[in-house]
Amino acid sequence: MASRAAVSKVLRPASVSARALSSSTTATSSVANKLVGRNALLTTPLARVSRSEPKWLVGAEQRRLASSDEGVTQMTVREALNSAMEEEMNRDETVFVMGEEVARYNGAYKITKGLLDKFGEDRVIDTPITESGFAGMAVGAALAGLRPVCEFMTWNFAMQAIDQIVNSGGKTYYMSGGNVPCPVTFRGPNGAAAGVGAQHSQDYSAWYGSVPGLKVISPWSAADCRGLLKAAIRDPNPVCFLENELLYGVSFPITKEELSEDFLLPIGKAKVEKEGSDVTIVTHSKMVTHSLEAAELLEKNEGIKVEVINLRSIRPLDIDTIINSVKKTNHLVTVEGGFPAFGVGSEIIAQICESPAFDFLDAPPERITGADVPTPYSESLEHMAFPDTSIIVKVLKRHLCE
Amino acid sequence: MSSILLKRAKTGSDVINSIHRQSVINITRSLITGPPSSTPPTHHHTTPTAAPLPSPVPLPFFSPDVSAQQGINNGEAKPLYVPGSQADRLARVSRMSSPLRRGSHESWWSGEMGWFNAVAKTIPTYRVLDEEGHLVKGTAIPEITKEEALAMYRTMTLIPIVDNILYQSQRQGRISFYMQCAGEEAAIVGSSAAMLEGDEMFGQYRESAALLHRGFTLDAMMSQCFGNVEDVGTKGRMMPVHYSAPELGFHTITSPLATQMPQAAGAAYALKLDEDRQGDCVICYFGDGAASEGDFHAALGMNSVLGGPCIWFCRNNGFAISTPIIDQYAGDGIASRGPAYGLDTIRVDGNDALAVLSAVREARKRAVEGKKGVLVEAMTYRVGHHSTSDDSSMYRRVEEVKEWTVVDNPIHRFRAFLASKSWWNETSEKDLITSHKSKVMKAFSRAEKLPKPKLGEMFNDVWGIGKGDEVPAVIMEQRAELGRLLKKYGDVWEPWRKERKRFVEEGMDVMDCDGRGS
Repeated sequence: MASRAAVSKVLRPASVSARALSSSTTATSSVANKLVGRNALLTTPLARVSRSEPKWLVGAEQRRLASSDEGVTQMTVREALNSAMEEEMNRDETVFVMGEEVARYNGAYKITKGLLDKFGEDRVIDTPITESGFAGMAVGAALAGLRPVCEFMTWNFAMQAIDQIVNSGGKTYYMSGGNVPCPVTFRGPNGAAAGVGAQHSQDYSAWYGSVPGLKVISPWSAADCRGLLKAAIRDPNPVCFLENELLYGVSFPITKEELSEDFLLPIGKAKVEKEGSDVTIVTHSKMVTHSLEAAELLEKNEGIKVEVINLRSIRPLDIDTIINSVKKTNHLVTVEGGFPAFGVGSEIIAQICESPAFDFLDAPPERITGADVPTPYSESLEHMAFPDTSIIVKVLKRHLCE
Repeated sequence: MSSILLKRAKTGSDVINSIHRQSVINITRSLITGPPSSTPPTHHHTTPTAAPLPSPVPLPFFSPDVSAQQGINNGEAKPLYVPGSQADRLARVSRMSSPLRRGSHESWWSGEMGWFNAVAKTIPTYRVLDEEGHLVKGTAIPEITKEEALAMYRTMTLIPIVDNILYQSQRQGRISFYMQCAGEEAAIVGSSAAMLEGDEMFGQYRESAALLHRGFTLDAMMSQCFGNVEDVGTKGRMMPVHYSAPELGFHTITSPLATQMPQAAGAAYALKLDEDRQGDCVICYFGDGAASEGDFHAALGMNSVLGGPCIWFCRNNGFAISTPIIDQYAGDGIASRGPAYGLDTIRVDGNDALAVLSAVREARKRAVEGKKGVLVEAMTYRVGHHSTSDDSSMYRRVEEVKEWTVVDNPIHRFRAFLASKSWWNETSEKDLITSHKSKVMKAFSRAEKLPKPKLGEMFNDVWGIGKGDEVPAVIMEQRAELGRLLKKYGDVWEPWRKERKRFVEEGMDVMDCDGRGS
C-alpha cells in the first residue's frame, strides 16, 4: 500500500518533491524486478532442476580413455539429438519438426534449440496443445509424403495420442497393401525422471514394443542418439524414439566418425558395451549407465566379469546378440527402468527360454525392474522404486553365488 | 481392544516425532525447484537467459476531484461516430489492437452484461432445388455441363445397386461386413464432383460413392470387399468397405472414428508446404457423431492455426449408429463450431446435389486461395442401417425411413432437375438401371470366384524394408513356422487341405522359402 501511494504521487507532478521522487523510483523499480523474477519462474515448465547432485554417468575407465585419445571429444545427448535433427533437415527438405513449445521456446528440454532460426516457421512448428491433433497431423503429413519429426513434451503425454501412433501410424502401411508408407518419427523423453510423480514417470518401451509395424528405439549415449535418430528419420516406417530426460545433459565421448553427417546406426542391432564371461546384463537407456557402473564394481571387488548389452532398439529386438552372449556366459539378468509385468525384460527372458540358449543357462534368468507401483513422488520412495548401481551389484552377486 | 489401539497410536506418534526430529537435525535435502544448497546466494532477480518482461505499470491512484474532471473531459474529447459506420468500426479495431486483447476478432467494450450462445443467429441451410426439384427463389444454378450432371447421376444411381447386392451378400454370409450410402448419395457425390484430380480425400467409411465418382472401378470395389487376389489396395488385409486408393488420392479408411481428421489437417499442411502442389486441396469426410470425438476439435484447431487447404465435410445424417442428433449435441449443429475455430462455414441441404456441388466448389476456392480450412455441414438423412451389424428398426420407425425416401429423395430431386433441362427421360433411366445391374452382378460374381492373395502376403508390409535391409527376424520366423506347419499338416488334415485351395499358389509360397518372403 505504501509503495502504491508513492507511485500515485509520481503521477501527480504538482505535489512531487525531490525526495518523494527518488524514493518512489526505487520502489517502482524493485516492484518491477520482483515481477520479472516471478514471471520468469512461472514460465519455467514443471520442475526441471534435477534434485540430486550430477553424477558421472560413464565408468571411470571410459572417462580416462576419452580424455587421453585425441580423436575423441565430448558431446551431450542434447547436442547429439539437436545436431542429428539439424543435419537431417539440411539433407532432406521434407523433414520438419512439430510439437508443443518446439519453436520459439526451443523445446521444453531445449532439444530443438536454434532450429526455428535456421529453418523458419514452416519447418519448425509450435502447435496448439492437442497431442492427438499434432500426432495425427504428423501421421497425415507422412502419408502425404513428408517426413515429420513429432516431439512429445514427454511420452507420458503421448497417451492422449496413442490411437494415432498405434492404430494409424503403425498399421497404415500394412492396411494399405504396402502402398502408403508412413515415415514419421515420434520422439521425446521417456521413463522416470526426477521428482515428477506417477503421471510423468513411465517407461513406454513395452507398450510400443508390442505393436507390429512400429519400430521402437531406446538410445543411451550421445553416439546412440545421433546414429539412431538419423536412421529413424530416414527409415520408411513410423519410429518411436524413446529418450531419457536425465541423460539429456550428460556428456559422452564421441569420435570423429560418429560426428560425421553420414553416421547412421542400424535399427534393430544391439551393442555389447562391455565384454565379459561370467554373466550377461541386457539393458537399455539410462540403466546402461548403472549396469556399466555395477560391472566395474563387480570386476574390481569380486573379479566377476560382466557382459553388458545395450539394446538400443526395443523393436525389432536383436535377440541373436543376446543368445550368443548367453551361450558364452550361461547367465542372464535384464535391467530396465520400467514396470516388471509384461515388460521388455519379460519378453527377452521368454524369447531366450524359447531359444537354443535355454540349454546353456546355469541359473533361472532374472529381471531387475522398477517397482510394481505407480511411481511415488517422495524422493526417498522414488529412489527405492527404480534400480540403481548398488541394487544391480547385489542382485548379480546373489544370482551368481546362490 | 481399546488399550491396543491406544498403544498403537502412541507408537505412531513416536515414529512421527522421531522423523520430525531427524529432519530438523539434518536438512540435507534442497528445495525441489531451487538451486542446490551449496550455491552461494545472489541478488539477481532475473534469470540471465530470459529477456525482461514488460512490467505492468500500476494503476494511477486518482483523487475524486481528478476523476470527476476527467469524466467531463472524456465526454468532450471522445470522438463520436455513427454507430456501425466504417469510421466507428475502424476506431473499435484500433482499440482492439492491443496485444493484451488478441484472441477476439472485433470485440468492443460494453457496460451491459450480455450473454451469448450462438455466434449470430441460427445458421441457414443453403439449397438450390426444393424437394420436388424446383428451383428455389433467388438462387443461381451452378455452372454444370450435361456431361458433368449425367456423370453425377450415373454414380448416384449406381451406388444403391452396389449397396443392395453387397448388403444382401453379407446377409448370406458371403462377405463379413458392409456399410451402405443410402440416402446420402447427393451429399457424397455432389462434394466429390466439386473436387479436382490432384486433390486428396480422407473418408470416414460411408463414402464409397465418392470413390466411385473419382474413377474407382466396380471390379476394384468388389475385390476389396472379397479380399481377393485383385485387391491391390489392401491385399485382403482390411474389412470390407475399408478402401484404399492412393492413385486416386483416396487415403486408407480407418475404423476408429475421426482419426482421419487430424491426418487430413496434416495432409493439408503438407500441401501448403509443397510448392509443386499449390492449388490442390484436401477434403475430409466425417459424420455428426464423429464431430463429438476429441479428434474433431483437435483437427479443426490445428488446421485453423497452422493452415493448409482443407474442406471439412460433415455428413449430418441424423444418427450415430442409433444415437439421434438430439442426443449428440445441444448447439446449432456442427456448423456453429466452424466460426468458433475461425473457419468459413456453410450449412447446405445435403439432399440437394446441386447445392452441395456449388457449396463445395466455393469452399474449395476459399480453401485453396486462403490455404486454410473451410467447414461444410451437409444436412441429410441416413436411410440405410448404420452397418450390417445394426438393425435400425430397433430405434426408429420404418415408416419414418420410408417417408424420407418418398418425400425427400436426393436421387429423385436431381432427376427432376435433369428432366427439366431435358437431359433425361424415362427410357434413358430404364437403360441405365439395367446396365448398372448387369455390370454390378458381373463384377460381383467375378470377384467372388477369384482366389485369395498369396498366403505369404500376411507377413509382408508389416515394416517397409529399405534398400539392402534385412526382413526383421520376427517376420521370417513366423513365415518359416507357418511353412513348416503347412508342410506337415497341409495335405493330411482335411480343413487345411480344403482351405489351402482358396489361395493363389495354395500356400506353396510360404512352404518353399526360408522365411525371407517372395
